[in-house]
Amino acid sequence: MLQSYVSEIGRSAKSYCEHTARTQPTLSDIVVTLVEMGFNVETLPAYAKRSQRMVITAPPVTNQPVTPKALTAGQNKPHPSHIPGHFPEFPDPHTYIKTPTYREPVSDYQVLREKAASQRRDVERALTRFMAKTGETQSLFKDDVSTFPLIAARPFTVPYLTALLPSELEMQQMEETDSSEQDDQTDTENLPLHITTDDSGPEKENASVLQQNTSLSGSRNGEENMIDNPYLRPVKKPKIRRKK
Amino acid sequence: MNRKKGDKGFESPRPYKLTHQVVCINNINFQRRSVVGYVELTIFPTVANLNRIKLNSKQCRIYRVRVNDLEAAFIYNDPTLEVCHHESKQRNLNYFSNAYAAAVSAVDPDAGNGELCIKVPSELWKHVDELKVLKVHINFSLDQPKGGLHFVVPNMEGSMAERGAHVFSCGYQNSTRFWFPCVDSYSELCTWKLEYTVDAAMVAVSNGDLVETVYTHDMRKKTFHYMLTIPTAASNISLAIGPFEILVDPYMHEVTHFCLPQLLPLLKHTTSYLHEVFEFYEEILTCRYPYSCFKTVFIDEAYVEVAAYASMSIFSTNLLHSAMIIDETPLTRRCLAQALAQQFFGCFISRMSWSDEWVLKGISGYIYGLWMKKTFGVNEYRHWIKQELDQIVAYELKTGGVLLHPIFGGGKEKDNPASHLHFSIKHPHTLSWEYYTMFQCKAHLVMRLIENRISMEFMLQVFNKLLSLASTASSQKFQSHMWSQMLVSTSGFLKSISNVSGKDIQPLIKQWVDQSGVVKFYGSFAFNRKRNVLELEIKQDYTSPGTQKYVGPLKVTVQELDGSFNHTLQIEENSLKHDIPCHSKSRRNKKKKIPLMNGEEVDMDLSAMDADSPLLWIRIDPDMSVLRKVEFEQSDFMWQYQLRYERDVVAQEEAILALEKFPTPASRLALTDILEQEQCFYRVRMLACFCLAKIANSMVSTWTGPPAMKSLFTRMFCCKTCPNIVKTNNFMNFQSYFLQKTMPVAMALLRDVHNLCPKEVLMFILDLIKYNDNRKNKFSDNYYRAELIDALANSVTPAVSVNNEVRTLDNLNPDVRLILEEITRFLNMEKLLPSYRHTITVSCLKAIRVLQKNGHVPSDPALFKSYAEYGHFVDVRIAALEAVVDYTKVDRSYEELQWLLTMVHNDPVPYIRHKILDMLTKNPPFTKNMESPLCNEALVDQLWKLMNSGTSHDWRLRCGAVDLYFTLFGLSRPSCLPLPELGLVLNLKEKKAVLNPTIIPESVVNPQEPVASANNHGQSVGFQSTEDDHLVKETASSISGHQQGVKRKADMPLGSPLEPGQILEKNEDSKVKLKIRFSNPQEEEEIDMDTVHDSQAFIYHHLNMLERPSTPGKEQSSGEITMHPVVAAPLSVFSKESNSSKHSDHHHHHHHEHKKKKKKHKHKHKHKHKHDSKEKEKDPFSFSNSPASARSIRSPSLSD
Repeated sequence: MLQSYVSEIGRSAKSYCEHTARTQPTLSDIVVTLVEMGFNVETLPAYAKRSQRMVITAPPVTNQPVTPKALTAGQNKPHPSHIPGHFPEFPDPHTYIKTPTYREPVSDYQVLREKAASQRRDVERALTRFMAKTGETQSLFKDDVSTFPLIAARPFTVPYLTALLPSELEMQQMEETDSSEQDDQTDTENLPLHITTDDSGPEKENASVLQQNTSLSGSRNGEENMIDNPYLRPVKKPKIRRKK
Repeated sequence: MNRKKGDKGFESPRPYKLTHQVVCINNINFQRRSVVGYVELTIFPTVANLNRIKLNSKQCRIYRVRVNDLEAAFIYNDPTLEVCHHESKQRNLNYFSNAYAAAVSAVDPDAGNGELCIKVPSELWKHVDELKVLKVHINFSLDQPKGGLHFVVPNMEGSMAERGAHVFSCGYQNSTRFWFPCVDSYSELCTWKLEYTVDAAMVAVSNGDLVETVYTHDMRKKTFHYMLTIPTAASNISLAIGPFEILVDPYMHEVTHFCLPQLLPLLKHTTSYLHEVFEFYEEILTCRYPYSCFKTVFIDEAYVEVAAYASMSIFSTNLLHSAMIIDETPLTRRCLAQALAQQFFGCFISRMSWSDEWVLKGISGYIYGLWMKKTFGVNEYRHWIKQELDQIVAYELKTGGVLLHPIFGGGKEKDNPASHLHFSIKHPHTLSWEYYTMFQCKAHLVMRLIENRISMEFMLQVFNKLLSLASTASSQKFQSHMWSQMLVSTSGFLKSISNVSGKDIQPLIKQWVDQSGVVKFYGSFAFNRKRNVLELEIKQDYTSPGTQKYVGPLKVTVQELDGSFNHTLQIEENSLKHDIPCHSKSRRNKKKKIPLMNGEEVDMDLSAMDADSPLLWIRIDPDMSVLRKVEFEQSDFMWQYQLRYERDVVAQEEAILALEKFPTPASRLALTDILEQEQCFYRVRMLACFCLAKIANSMVSTWTGPPAMKSLFTRMFCCKTCPNIVKTNNFMNFQSYFLQKTMPVAMALLRDVHNLCPKEVLMFILDLIKYNDNRKNKFSDNYYRAELIDALANSVTPAVSVNNEVRTLDNLNPDVRLILEEITRFLNMEKLLPSYRHTITVSCLKAIRVLQKNGHVPSDPALFKSYAEYGHFVDVRIAALEAVVDYTKVDRSYEELQWLLTMVHNDPVPYIRHKILDMLTKNPPFTKNMESPLCNEALVDQLWKLMNSGTSHDWRLRCGAVDLYFTLFGLSRPSCLPLPELGLVLNLKEKKAVLNPTIIPESVVNPQEPVASANNHGQSVGFQSTEDDHLVKETASSISGHQQGVKRKADMPLGSPLEPGQILEKNEDSKVKLKIRFSNPQEEEEIDMDTVHDSQAFIYHHLNMLERPSTPGKEQSSGEITMHPVVAAPLSVFSKESNSSKHSDHHHHHHHEHKKKKKKHKHKHKHKHKHDSKEKEKDPFSFSNSPASARSIRSPSLSD
């Protein structure tokens, strides 16, 4: 009976509160309910202050087993400045952060080297094979000429030139490394420059080298005019008396 | 004292004195390779009755000679064109060497001789009597010179200048006579006027100051006028003409550099260093560079890398390099410094005679060494000295000694100081090239010994004195006779040493200069604990060839616990043992630091050492102040201490070499520690690599851990994150660059228990190649890559072959396949992107040869032959030729040998010609004691011809041919020659009769005659009628007489180590026939000689049946003595394989009694012969001295 009485109080209190467009019942809702149910509200304080009342001790607070938090991944991001602080916090990061899958970062360099090496090797092999296919070859095995084709040795008319002068590739490399040595910042600026020279092909490269040379020798000549060296003196015209 | 020297002065061997010479070359034709010009010599007679003037000239065609504008008759006679004139069957090297020395001395300017003899016209005799000046004007031309002047004319389109055609003078020692008539002696000084008319696009570089350059009238040519006012020997005159690019040295404007077109950037970089060398020499000599200018010319196809002439040097163009090249830089700088040192001593100061050469070479080498010490540091210097010392010691022990100052008393060859050599050392032109190199090496080492004795300060004072005397003299006019001050002589040099230093260095000079040989020490020690004394025993070997006895002080350094102590021992005749008191008691205070020689104090782990002895290590002659070889015994831990803690690089290197014999973990640790130590000299670390590889191989069964050096290399040069990948190249640190280059090469020498290169190592090297990345490097990696290929080659081990199967691709070992893949790729890439000096091609060719030799790839010389052709870079050609030489040896290929010899004849590059002979000598297809199918009569004839007449244009080449002949056949008659006529020749020196190839006639009555003759002429000639033979013999007999005139050292061995078994088997038939022959000499035609071998074997049997004692030969000049025919036989067998007296002993056992009688009979004749030959000797001798052939007498020209 007590239970139904108490639940009736709760039900009507809730009705009253909903009646007034609220969700939470207030004290007045309960008072109205009690009044409705025929309970003398004024006796209630006196009853509460009665002398021989029985105190029901609060049930011992049992440590509620902490329910594991629902998987927090990382810390919630604080609000950026343009979002007012009262707005709700960001949800857990895992809900919006995407993690791309990398290969192991250690192997990064290795793979690069590996790739560069094999790429170069493939290019070289293809190139030399092509050269060997299109030109004369020599072979180490009499029965097989294709497995290890050697481009035939061809004598040069001026053998020392190719042997001594650095190849264009090396020259280019040297310039690159030189500039990178001198200044790291200019290196990046130079980079596009080099690319353009690459594109323009070897002729231009050659031309620029030549230009450099001539300009060098030009400046040298200017300098040497001041130097008295017999080899730089102008060649004399024949004297007339020699004609005899 | 000096005054005295000056008074004595220099006595010219000539009856006149040259004061001035004009050389004018009017025309140089590159197309036809010809030169036209004239010379004019101003000479003062020094004797009244001068009627003949002898000058030197070779190759030149002389049109006309005028003396004071009067036509003069002249005779041109060059005996060196063909050394042995007659078509004799004489093929013994002794004979040749003597004849060659005689020929050279017949035209030797230092003896007042010459090829060109000019008769002073009778109209001038009176003039001469008044000792008035004579002007000798000679018009000459040179057509396609084979030596002296070298033309380089590339075969392509364009004018000569566009093609880069050039010409330059070259040669070995005094070789100026090859391109213009002169007194080709280092002792005849005069002033010079040089004129060259060349194409307007060309530059002529020569000695002295360029006075002016004048166009010719058609403006197409110009004439370069040079004046050289400093008296200079003709031998120091040089010339280089070509379309050179000109670079004036930015630091010294009087220095000009020249190079071939397009190489200017390289020239700039290469010569940018030269001024520092100048400064260094001028500073130490406290003397300015003597000439007013200096020129360097870099030319192609150089004869030698560096040639120094008065005020100019000619270099090989291959010394030029760009800033990206590491390895070549120090080498080139060395060459520059060497050339400059020779400017002072060699060009400016010349020598009195050939026997004073050592002073010049010694001083220039010595100051070059000082430069090296300053430039590359003490470590490098000491390393170099050790290297040179090891070289000279090895050479002297091998050949029997190098004599710096040969004295030829009385001209008698009996006093020949170099009888152990197969050439005469009386003239520079008869010297083997290797000998001459070693001679120079010894000269500078001896200078260093002198410095040790008198201190460097005094040494430099002496040099300064020589230079200042010379420079005062050089500014004098001729008449003052001061010019001889510019010539250095041994006695003058020694005198100024004693003047300056006041020290007596005579014993030192006697030991090292007047005497050949080095010292060989064997040392061992024991520590006497009771007396606390080190008992050192030092033995010497002074009996083997090339050694000498040393008596005098010897420094010994003992490192003890308490420090390092020097002791000077007195090495005396009979004292072997030396007691050296020790300073420290055996380790009492363990914790103390140990002081080293240089004052450093170090902590050592002394647990390895012997607890009873305070000795850490001992060094004998640490300063290398004796030319010696030391073999010292000390225990392994002492070597290890020496390696770790001794600071001298020489000691470290010695320790490394010694540790090879102690393959223990402790040695391994010591070597690894050295390898890791950055402060350690890089060459020591490099050496340690190889030693470590050897040790690892010796302890292969107990070796633990990864292959030697692998982890070390990984730690030093590989990425931290991925240890299997090498870092991208960065060669800024040269020391680690050299180490990085060397370690893989050494690692590849590792072998596992099966004697194969461990797979792990091979893969490691292949990875190095794969991941090699030079993009970020400031320097070229071509040498590094080349060494990686060398490493691959080192890893190759002999193929396992089943029944000599043919090598095909299918049965190729998979490892080899990988290697071959790399080599193919590298070699092909070289065609597209050639590396500097084609180092990679060179390494690839070497590697391919290794693969061939180990049976992985079919042996085939075709590839190498194509790379050896003219037109490839010289390094490539040499590598290819080396492979062909090796092939010739391994496969005994006659065809390849012929190909090589043809190249020696025909190749346009003198250096290549020289190098082929050199390589053949070092790696001969066979030697004199070896059976070889290659060794046949045709080859002997060919080589004989080569040295006799084929190489008259190049001294070096001729001597190279002589060396080769010596290596192949020895001193005596080649064994492969068929039976010569019997000969017995007396060795006058040794007073005994020996067999000699001299052709000795035999009487016609001799029933054996036809057989002998058949042998003699080989298969080609076959039998001849006895009549013919008789004629042949007669001519031969006269020749033989002649030849005996030239005394020879006949050390021909009397026995022969022919393996009797072998030939006996082969020739059963002839044995039978032989018997028939004995019974009936008439039937000898039945004997058919199929091959030379058969005949040899045949002869051998004769021998077996005959008593074959010491001298079966005999002479029969009068014809009345009938010798038993069979005696003729032994000769070829004799010469066959030389030496083994054992053999003859062996024969005695088998011989029948009656043969012994014959022997006695022969001995009688020996004596008789001695008399005969002595009588005969007289007249032909004089004749032989004046060479008979190649004489062309020209009547004076009648034009004008």
